[in-house]
Amino acid sequence: MSGGAGTPVSEQAGLPREGEHGALSAGKAVSFSPKALARFEKLLTRYPTKQAALLPTLWIAQEELGWISREAVDYVASLLGLSPAFVWGVTTFYTMYNRAPVGKHLIQFCTSISCHLAGAEEVFAECRKRLGDLKPGETTADGRFTVIEVECLAQCDKAPAVMVNDDDCAIITKENLEQFLGGLK
Amino acid sequence: MVKVTVDGTAVEVPDNANALEACRAAGVDVPHFCYHPRFSIVGQCRMCMVEIDGAPKVQASCTVPVRGGMVIRASSEKALAARNATMEFLLINHPLDCPICDQAGECQLQDNAVAGGLPVSRTSEPRRQFPGYDRTDIGPHVIADMTRCIQCTRCIRFCNEIAGTGELTFIERGGHTMVWTHEGHQLDNEWSACAADVCPVGALTTKEFRFRKRVWWLKKTASVCPGCEIGCNISIEHREQVVHRFLPRVNLGVNDFWMCDHGRFLAESLNGRDFLKPVVPDDFLKASEPDGRGRRETNWGEALGLVHEKLTAAKPAAVLAIGSANLSTEENWLLAELFGKTVGTPNVEFDADQGPLRRIRNPKAIGADGGFLKGTVAAPNARGAEAAGVRKASGESALGRLLTGSLVPDVLYVADAAFSARTADPAFVAKLRKAKFLVVHARTRSALTDVADVVLPVSGLTGKDGSFLNVQGRVQRFDVAFVPPPIVKTDLEVLLHLGQRFGVFETRWTTADVFGKLAATVPAYGGLAWDAPAVVGLPPSVSPAASYDVLRPPRTSVDDTDKLPAAAGKA
Ligand code: SF4
Ligand code: SF4
Ligand code: FES
Ligand code: FES
Repeated sequence: MSGGAGTPVSEQAGLPREGEHGALSAGKAVSFSPKALARFEKLLTRYPTKQAALLPTLWIAQEELGWISREAVDYVASLLGLSPAFVWGVTTFYTMYNRAPVGKHLIQFCTSISCHLAGAEEVFAECRKRLGDLKPGETTADGRFTVIEVECLAQCDKAPAVMVNDDDCAIITKENLEQFLGGLK
Repeated sequence: MVKVTVDGTAVEVPDNANALEACRAAGVDVPHFCYHPRFSIVGQCRMCMVEIDGAPKVQASCTVPVRGGMVIRASSEKALAARNATMEFLLINHPLDCPICDQAGECQLQDNAVAGGLPVSRTSEPRRQFPGYDRTDIGPHVIADMTRCIQCTRCIRFCNEIAGTGELTFIERGGHTMVWTHEGHQLDNEWSACAADVCPVGALTTKEFRFRKRVWWLKKTASVCPGCEIGCNISIEHREQVVHRFLPRVNLGVNDFWMCDHGRFLAESLNGRDFLKPVVPDDFLKASEPDGRGRRETNWGEALGLVHEKLTAAKPAAVLAIGSANLSTEENWLLAELFGKTVGTPNVEFDADQGPLRRIRNPKAIGADGGFLKGTVAAPNARGAEAAGVRKASGESALGRLLTGSLVPDVLYVADAAFSARTADPAFVAKLRKAKFLVVHARTRSALTDVADVVLPVSGLTGKDGSFLNVQGRVQRFDVAFVPPPIVKTDLEVLLHLGQRFGVFETRWTTADVFGKLAATVPAYGGLAWDAPAVVGLPPSVSPAASYDVLRPPRTSVDDTDKLPAAAGKA
């Protein structure tokens, strides 16, 4: 994963900025590793059409490359025989595809109703403060952390809930925040 | 076929029709945005709501396939209320600035709002804005303004289903949804401007026409595209002797609802006129001209008299007449008659350019190949010229021999100064100039007119009527858009006047008369009448977004509900 150090705020993950809905360039052509290609081939056998495999293929791309760049869209489109525009349209429909490089740990704070009632906003604010006054969507200078706000993570029973990359973390409060961040290597 | 009832009117529609099409077939106008007869059904806009007996809620009529006995109430209170609500939702985020929108006058949103919407707006909140995504080029011809988009997806479906290129997509979602291309790609295909045609609002417009003329000032003339041998039916849209745009004119057997960008943007080439009077050689001026070719303007009498004199003096075999695949069949036929029969030369020929392949999606058309009609000759009437008796030039023909220098005609009569793109090439023109006497019909100045002895000023496509024979062998008529300034004649008139001097033509013949004469002798025209519907085609449509409206029966407007039969709203 590439760090966010040199990436302008506006181009980082999180909410797309108004007037900035185009895919960012990674500055180089991208392709899958042989291992990812093998996964992709296997994936195709599970769907009736290539188009149907678009979402999981984008997941592979995100795992491989860290985020979905302009080049990644073109590459996925060529793999699946779709138009790049279609792939980009699908990418922007979903929030969980990163449209800009993110830090090693993408910390996703839920601020929907249950977590909100449990004080998620304060924890979110506190976390951003500790990481050096990050704004939502920004990445720390060392490229380790990106913090964003997300909708319900379906862990309302463990509010305030947080997700780090693909892993759930339950009941993150101001009190255990230090420990939580320390645990992210 | 199945029988359905729309607002009390029984109507029979094909099995695969939908309820919206049934309403239209019954002459009931149901407002809609996303439905287009050539695109897949998406039920995207929810504008076409109607009541259908047996269905608990109002239905988007375009998404409901008809069944036998279906009773549709398109103008019931419930249906109108549902449509009003949809219209209000659409307008919540639509800028209320029709006066500065170029679509105004042919906008479906405007029309439907006026016809069926609320008279006042209940929202005063600021409208959605897309900084950076308004008034932006998304391709060589199309400008997008997302503040106006109503998310009907027609443009996207055009690119996916007709062009097959898929450049457009929705990005983001909900209130942020907009139509755009993927970064680094443009809306750039052979028919990209058709995406602007099908856009019901001012979200997609063409660079070439945008803000050029308010559409209600335009006059529409049925014509045929001069771009290639497919001969897409077009509407020449003009005002005060200026052509402002071409739009496709529906012809289900030829261009369907489309035309290519190449043809469409030839519109501008019809404007401009360099010759208002005939030009003849002048001995007195000769000395002062560097090329020793002094010329002056004159009247038709002198110019045609001179041409007549030269033709009579020449040996028939030393006369070469060049017709053109840009001229109508009528004109080519007169040329063949006059020069072949009366002057008696065997040399009546034409030469047309092979152009890049032009394609028009119409899987159902006769001669369609892989879903496309294809045209390779870069002029509309190569077939017609040949059918009229003008031979295609070859290496051994008179034109070929003139080009190799083995024939020096006494008179070279070029009935179209732009018969080939090569007439702009000085080397080619120099070879034609070898002829002892050179006559050309021309509208605009070119390398060829610069060296001609006699220039006869003609109107060009906008000023005349006639017919072309397209690649499918279909006879297609075009009409006069506007009459050229007085002394300029049409090619047909020039030939008639010249023929009259030989005593074979009469100047009072109209194009229709000539059509009649040629239809009697030319097999490709056999049995056709000038006024036959197949020859005339359909009239231009009011709005490019609803071009298919010309196909439907006369309509009952939704605001005529009080005049509908009692059965409509009740029971
Ligand atoms: S740009 Fe026009 S055609 Fe395309 S979705 Fe928007 S309103 Fe419809
Ligand atoms: S395909 Fe040929 S006839 Fe049709 S619009 Fe293009 S150039 Fe004109
Ligand atoms: S509201 Fe936070 S996980 Fe459901
Ligand atoms: S026309 Fe039926 S939903 Fe759009």
